[in-house]
Amino acid sequence: MLIVQQLISGLMIGGIYVMVAVAFTLTIGMLNFLNFTIPALFMLAGMTAWGMTTVGVHWAIALLGGVAIATVASLIVERFTYRYMRVRYGDATEHALPLVSSLGFLIVFEHLVLITLGSEIQRFPNPFSSADFHIGNLIIGIPQLVSLVLALLIVWGLSTMLKRSRVGRALRSIAENPDASTLMGVNVNYIVPVVFIITGLMAGIAGMLFTLNYAAVNAYMGDEVAAKAIAGMVIGGLGNIWGAIAGGLIVGVTEVLAIHFFGADIVKIPIWGLLLILLIIRPSGLFGHTAIGKGKF
Amino acid sequence: MPDSILSFQNVSKNFSGLRVIDEVTFDVERGSRTALIGPNGAGKTTVFNLISGVYPIDQGQVLLDGGDISTLPVRERINKGISRSFQNIRLMPHLSAVENVMLGQHSRARSVGDLLFPLGWLPRNRWAKQAEEALAQAGLGTYPGEVVANLPYGVQKRIEVVRAMISEPKVLMLDEPAAGLNEKETEDLRLLLEQVSKRGVTLLVVEHDMQFVRRLCDQVVVLNFGKKIFEGLASAVQEDQAVREAYLGTEDVGDAA
Amino acid sequence: MSGYWAGIMAILCFNIVVAYSVFLPAASGQLNLGAAGFVAIGAYTSGYISTDLGAPMLVAILLGALVTGFVAFVISFPILRTRGVYMVLATFAFAEVVQGVFINLEIFGAAAGYPVAAFADLDVIVPLTIGVVVFVFFLMTTRLGLSMRAVHDDEPVAALFGVHARFTQVTAFTLGGVVAGIGGAIWAHNFNYVEIQNFNILLSIFVLLYVLIGGTQTAFGPLVGAVFFTLMPEALRVSEEWRFVFFGILIILMMVVRPEGLVTRTMLDRIKGLFFRRRPAPTADA
Repeated sequence: MLIVQQLISGLMIGGIYVMVAVAFTLTIGMLNFLNFTIPALFMLAGMTAWGMTTVGVHWAIALLGGVAIATVASLIVERFTYRYMRVRYGDATEHALPLVSSLGFLIVFEHLVLITLGSEIQRFPNPFSSADFHIGNLIIGIPQLVSLVLALLIVWGLSTMLKRSRVGRALRSIAENPDASTLMGVNVNYIVPVVFIITGLMAGIAGMLFTLNYAAVNAYMGDEVAAKAIAGMVIGGLGNIWGAIAGGLIVGVTEVLAIHFFGADIVKIPIWGLLLILLIIRPSGLFGHTAIGKGKF
Repeated sequence: MPDSILSFQNVSKNFSGLRVIDEVTFDVERGSRTALIGPNGAGKTTVFNLISGVYPIDQGQVLLDGGDISTLPVRERINKGISRSFQNIRLMPHLSAVENVMLGQHSRARSVGDLLFPLGWLPRNRWAKQAEEALAQAGLGTYPGEVVANLPYGVQKRIEVVRAMISEPKVLMLDEPAAGLNEKETEDLRLLLEQVSKRGVTLLVVEHDMQFVRRLCDQVVVLNFGKKIFEGLASAVQEDQAVREAYLGTEDVGDAA
Repeated sequence: MSGYWAGIMAILCFNIVVAYSVFLPAASGQLNLGAAGFVAIGAYTSGYISTDLGAPMLVAILLGALVTGFVAFVISFPILRTRGVYMVLATFAFAEVVQGVFINLEIFGAAAGYPVAAFADLDVIVPLTIGVVVFVFFLMTTRLGLSMRAVHDDEPVAALFGVHARFTQVTAFTLGGVVAGIGGAIWAHNFNYVEIQNFNILLSIFVLLYVLIGGTQTAFGPLVGAVFFTLMPEALRVSEEWRFVFFGILIILMMVVRPEGLVTRTMLDRIKGLFFRRRPAPTADA
C-alpha cells in the first residue's frame, strides 16, 4: 500500500519538523519573539558535527558536540537580542526588534558556515542510516523511527517540565505577566535564558536527528526545515506545544503526499497558500494558542 | 438640566465580569465647565473611554447634542464634536509639536486636496499657521518644530490640550490635564481653559487637583466604585455627605490647599 | 560613466526603489517580509508586457507597477487583518506563494528564467528612481503621510482624531506594491533576464534590514540604508560572505544600540538647524 508507506515517511520526517516547530512555538509563546535563528541553530548542529568528523572526531561525539554548539549559539543570541528588548514607545514596529536581530544572527551564522565549511552538500559518516525493518510490504527505517519516538519523548518531557517544575512555572508566569513575575521574585535574567537553552537543544537535537536520518548536511539545510516548522507552528497555534506536535506531523504527511501526487515543484503553493489563509482567517491555528506572552520587559 | 450637550444615560460596563460602570446617568450642561471627580479607580477614565468609543457600552446610551453616538465608530466621534486628552501622555513621540497639533486638525481636512497638500514643503499654509498660533497662544510658541519626545513633561501635557482643542469641538474632555504641572503651568492651563470656555466650548475635566477644579469648574459629577454619587453645583459638592464619605481617608474634598 | 560603475549605479537605483517599497508600509507600522514577492510580480509582468506583448518599455514599466499595486491592494485587505508577528508571517507566506507560482509558470519560462528584450539604461532608471524618491518625500509631507506616521506611533489615538486607520494602511501597502513593481521592472529591463530564484527570502530579508538600518522615521532613512548596502561591498573589499557577516553583525548591534535606525527625526532636525535659521515664533513666549 503505497499511500500508507507515504504516510509513514511523512510521519518520520514530521518528527523532525515537530522538534523545530516546538522550538519556534515555545519562544513565541513564552517571549513573544519569533526567533528566526532557530533554523540556523539546526544547521549549526549538523554542520559543525560534520566539521568535527573531518578532523577525526567519532561521529557520535561529533553529533553531541553539534548539539552543544547549537545551544551555546542560542545563548549568544539571547545575550544580544532579547536581553536588550525594552519597550520605549510601544509603537507598531517595536515588537519586532528581537525578530530583526534574529534575522541578523541568521545571516551571520549561515555565512560563517559558508565561509568555513563551504556550500557543498557533505556526506556524514554513519553506520546505520539504511537499517530498516519490514511489516508486510511496508518499510520502516530504524533511524527514522528512533527519531520520531525520540522527538515525541523530548517534547512530552518538555511539556511535563513546563507544567510540573519550578522552572516551568516561572516560565509560564513570565509569559502571562512579566512585571508581576519580577515582583514575585522570579529572576527574569536567569529564567529567560532557560528558554534559549531549550531552544538550542531542541533545534540542535533536531539537526542531529536529521543528520542521522539523511547522512548528509549542507549550509542551507535549515532553510527548508524552517519553512515547514513555521507552518507546523501556525497550524498548531502559536504558543501551543501539543499543537506544534500535531502541526509538525501534519506538515510532514502533507508534504510527502503532495510530492507524491503533484510533484515536488508545485508543493510550495498549497503549503504556503494554506498557511497564508490560516493566518488570515484562523490565526489561532487548529488548536488555539496559549496567551502569547505580553513579553514587555 | 436646562440644555444638556452630553448625556450619559444609564450606562453600564463590565470587564471580565467586573462591573466597572454601574448604571451611571449624568448630563453635562452646554457651555458649562464640568468636573468629573472621584477616588482612584472610580471609573472616570473609563467614562471617557466609553464616550470616545474606545470601549463599547454594555448597556445604556450616550447622546451628544441630541444625537446618539453610542455605536458610532471611534474615528467618527470627533466629527460630532467631541475631543479629548489623556491621563498618560499620548502624543506621537516621533512627530513635532506642530505635527501633533495638526493631527488634531485631521477631522477638518475634508477633501482629497487637503489630504495630499504638502504641509512640509509650503510652511506658510493655513494648517501649520493655525497650529503654530494655537501653540503660541498656549504659551508653547518656542517649541513648534521640536520632536515631542525630547520635550519636558509639562510641555507635552499642554501640547496634548492644544491638540484636543484645535478641532474646535463642542465638548472638550480632558483627563487630568494638570497632573504633573507646576504652579505656574497649572495657572496658565486654567487661564487657557477659561478662554476656551468663553468661546462656547463645553469642558468636561477629570482632575484630582481640587484647587484647580474649584477655580475652574462650575458643575461637578462625582463617581465612586463605578456609581454616580453626586451631580450638581461645584459649590455644593463639599457639603454632600456621600462625597465626604467617599473621600474619607484619601483626599478631603473640603481641604483648603 | 564606466561600465563597472554604471552597473553599481543600476543596482543602487534598484535597491533604493525596493527600499522605499518596504519603507511605506513600515512607516505606517506594518513590517513587510515579502518584498521579493511584489518585486517578482513587477519584474515578470513588465517584462512580459514589453517582450511578448511588444509594448514600449516605459508603458510596460508603468503597467507592471500598476498590476503589482493592484495585487498589493487586493492582498492588503486580508493581510491587514493580521497584526505583529502574524503579519510578518503572512507577508512571508505570500512571497513564498508567489515564488511557488512563478517557478511553475511555463509562460514565464518556469525555473529556467525569462529573457526580456528591451534594455533600460541609466537614462531611464535614474529618472525613475528620482521620481520614486521625490514621490515618497512628497507623500510623507502630506496629511496622508502624517496619518501614516500617526497610525505607526499610536493607532487607537490616531483613530480618536479621525484618522481612518484601515484606509491609511491599505494605501501605504498598495503604494508600497506599486513602488516594488517599479523596482521589479527596473531589474527586468536592466538585467534583461528574470529568474524567480533571485526573488527569494534572502532578498526580502536584506531589504527589510537595510530599511531598518537606515531608519523609518524619515524619508531619508531608506536612501541612507540603500546607499550603505550598495556601497558596502566597495568599502569592504572582502568576499561576499564576509560582507554579509559584517552586515548581520551590524544589524544586531543597531538593534541593541540604535534601534530607530541611522537617520532619526531628531537628527534630521539638528542637521536642518545647522543650515536654516529657525523662523522666529509668532509670539515670543516661554
